[in-house]
Amino acid sequence: MTQRYTLTFQPGDVKVPDVPRGESVLRAAMQANIHINASCGGAGSCGKCRIKLLSGEVDSDRSAKIDDDEWSDGTRLACNTRVSSDVAVFVPEASRMGNAAVLERELRGERKGRLLTPAELESLVTGWTLDPVVKKLCMQLTPPSDGDNLNDLARFRKALKDQFGLSSVSVDSIWIRNMPSVLREQDWLVTATVVDTAYGYKAIDLEPGSHCEQDYSVVLDIGTTTVWGQLLDLTCGATLAQASAYNKQISFGEDVITRIVHSQRPGGREQLQQAIVDTVNEIIDELVESTRVDREQITHMVAAGNTTMTCLLVGIDPKYLRMTPYVPPADFIPPVRAVNLGEGLKVGRHVHVYTFPSVASYVGGDIVSGIVGSGIFETEKITLYIDIGTNGEVVIGNREWLIATSCSAGPAFEGGGVRHGMRATDGAVETVRIDPQTLEPTILTISNRPAIGICGSGIIDAVAELLKVGAISQNGRFNTDLDTWRIRETDGANEYVLVEAEYSGLGEDIVINEADIDNLVRAKAAIFAGIMTLLESVALDWADLEQIYVAGGFGKYLRIEEAQAIGLFPEVDVDSFTFVGNGSLLGARLVSFSKDMLKSAEQVALMMTNVELSDNQLFMDRYMAAMFLPHTDMSYFPAMDQVLSGLAAGGR
Amino acid sequence: MAFQAPTETYKGVIRATDLGGVAIGGETAFPFHTFEGEMPNDPKLAFEVWDIAPDDWSPELEVILADVWADPVAWAKRAVDEFGAQLIYLRLKSTDPNGAAKASVEAAATAKQVVESVDVPVVVVGSGDVEADVDVMKAVAETLADTPVVIGNAEEDNYRPIGAAAMGYKHGVVAFSPMDVNLAKQLNVLLSQLGVDEGMIVMDPTTGALGYGLEYAYTVFERDRLAALAQNDAKMQMPILATVGQEAWKAKETKVTEEELPGTGDRKTRGLMWESLTAVSLLLAGANVVVLRHPESANLIRQAIASLKGE
Repeated sequence: MTQRYTLTFQPGDVKVPDVPRGESVLRAAMQANIHINASCGGAGSCGKCRIKLLSGEVDSDRSAKIDDDEWSDGTRLACNTRVSSDVAVFVPEASRMGNAAVLERELRGERKGRLLTPAELESLVTGWTLDPVVKKLCMQLTPPSDGDNLNDLARFRKALKDQFGLSSVSVDSIWIRNMPSVLREQDWLVTATVVDTAYGYKAIDLEPGSHCEQDYSVVLDIGTTTVWGQLLDLTCGATLAQASAYNKQISFGEDVITRIVHSQRPGGREQLQQAIVDTVNEIIDELVESTRVDREQITHMVAAGNTTMTCLLVGIDPKYLRMTPYVPPADFIPPVRAVNLGEGLKVGRHVHVYTFPSVASYVGGDIVSGIVGSGIFETEKITLYIDIGTNGEVVIGNREWLIATSCSAGPAFEGGGVRHGMRATDGAVETVRIDPQTLEPTILTISNRPAIGICGSGIIDAVAELLKVGAISQNGRFNTDLDTWRIRETDGANEYVLVEAEYSGLGEDIVINEADIDNLVRAKAAIFAGIMTLLESVALDWADLEQIYVAGGFGKYLRIEEAQAIGLFPEVDVDSFTFVGNGSLLGARLVSFSKDMLKSAEQVALMMTNVELSDNQLFMDRYMAAMFLPHTDMSYFPAMDQVLSGLAAGGR
Repeated sequence: MAFQAPTETYKGVIRATDLGGVAIGGETAFPFHTFEGEMPNDPKLAFEVWDIAPDDWSPELEVILADVWADPVAWAKRAVDEFGAQLIYLRLKSTDPNGAAKASVEAAATAKQVVESVDVPVVVVGSGDVEADVDVMKAVAETLADTPVVIGNAEEDNYRPIGAAAMGYKHGVVAFSPMDVNLAKQLNVLLSQLGVDEGMIVMDPTTGALGYGLEYAYTVFERDRLAALAQNDAKMQMPILATVGQEAWKAKETKVTEEELPGTGDRKTRGLMWESLTAVSLLLAGANVVVLRHPESANLIRQAIASLKGE
């Protein structure tokens, strides 16, 4: 358990509770909406975020920006000063841009939505027991003798029946070839791998000796951009390791449509299948290397992906997915042998890959998996589930009904289509605050590296802050009458300079321009309108939602207040939001652990109703209404309405 | 029991707006639904006048206007004195950068002459070029500083300077948006955010003529009014102006002869019907001002208004 301390800022005596040990003073200040100047993203190079230590223990690095006298006098840089006790600091005038009111900004406290710990995430679903669909059974067979001359196969099947109660178990012809010697290799001690199929149990592998304690599975979330994998221990229900890699299909196109187009070229489908097989093999390599698990002891694989990714993995022609009326090739795809995919996944030849059933062309197994993994299928609470990615998938419902849709948000949330956008990796601007008087920004980057770009949450932050300080209008256009050099025109387009060249890792200014804002507005409008359309199709309103689950790698960096300020979500209670991280992986994991969950996944797919948005007039109308910051209908945004009215009264 | 027709009551009211002595708006129900609410002001008929002779107008308009349309003052006077115009809608077409490209100050001086020569309120709009209109409207707002008019069009891409010019000299402003209820509202929000008094805004939500999007325009007007009346949305309660003549007389059917379009009857009747049917439809949907071109269709529209009022 991390220790938590209270950090006090002077002047103003603003107390920030619950600051975890090791948190930088700058980050804690920003989360409490206290403005301290910082231009370099927390890299310690601009020297603007000076504070003076008044009391308490901190862990602080020396900086060339602070001379010996200042150091001994308690001067530190907020970005590289980490708390290790209750601490009080003084923010000097120079760090506040001469604005005495800074510290009097309202402290909004802990209103961030619930970010679950790994343990909490894994216990979102309660109604299951460890009972994998694939099991290893260790058996001591009685050797044949003159009085007991049963043949080898019948002897094996009899033992399955006598020792485990499994009758009429079918067998896989492949391993029978070596069965006689395998049975005798360790004196009739063998381990059988059996799988529970729709047609009864089937024995798929036989090993000499006892291997019941080594039974692993690999579960995958196959994203259009990123593939995640986990190695699971099926004997105890533990997650052993996690790995990720970019989907190698990216070189054939960034979105599902261009991949489908590529699959129609000669050899294209095979290229795409091999690309994902190579990606998964890389992940398996990493998983077994980091855990030293014998890859021959992997018995099961589960893959959750959108409909196109699932088709391409299995090798099904995805051509008709993008053609009206958008019918997917299959809802339930039978398990496929892993070694038969492309040039083969690098696991034992008995291992089968289970895929999640699809609902529609654009509501795929990844969403079904998310619904299973987040436990929505067993709750009575009316839940909104949103998976934010290049496609925003939205599900509303509970244990009794589920309705789903997919809206094309574009890549803005992942940093795509944005002048200085990037993925959420080191050096990405992830947090932005802008001083309402001076319009000077404070930024934080991931890993406190010099900024090299802006990731999704940074873009949302920047636009939300620009809007709140009146630097942009509700249509996303800059107010060029303001007294700041940071808003300027470059090549006919207005932009705001977020990081000056001298502090950026790029050697050039990092900016956010009107085209970037337009892309973000389109992305958030698509998701908001998708949710509105789904809600209206079941005659519900936001107020009827009892909980909101946000999934997606991006989700955990998202600050709900900023997402509400730009109108990605309405101003509903922040506490109703829960971040579940990679929901698809959660579901794949459960399905590998429990065959009941496999059945649940099938039920979820069957009960989920798809709403197609591509030709939906209501959606288009809701989309136009959402193409405004935060929205054309301000009744969903009373707090922002006040902020914006205040700006109008103040002449911005 | 006698049949009782169901009625609607609304929470909202359309802003009563005074355009220099001519009152519009103020209704508390859909137009002419006097069994459901008040309609204190009749809809008004405005006439369109250009500051330069048009070269592509229908021969039916040429017949009645050619002798005055090179002189905007004479044209405006005829519209008021002979056609019964309650407002003049002056389009400074000469400032079109792709046309005559006249200087803003020159066009503004013409506008001043027109305003001084008639005793009805004047709406002054530019050529419709988003960039050029900014300069033109700044000049107009300043030149007419002593005589409040309504200037326009303020669109999403130029609302800031035009809205500021209107505010600075206390003129009204036409908020012109593409045919969409959300875009109309967004522009009103932006203008009021800028500080423009909501009572000084007239909406032009884009007009579609008979056969050229009238159904769509009707639906958008109706939804604009529903937002204002049923949802009491303050940002949608501005009166609506519809540029009917401009759209109706743009239709091929109002320009070509019967020989070119056999079976469609004589051109004059066709043109009058095109303009008056478009106008009456949009008056029913919620227009407070219709801008017309032909006096005879104006007569038909006046009759329709009177009969809709039960007179």
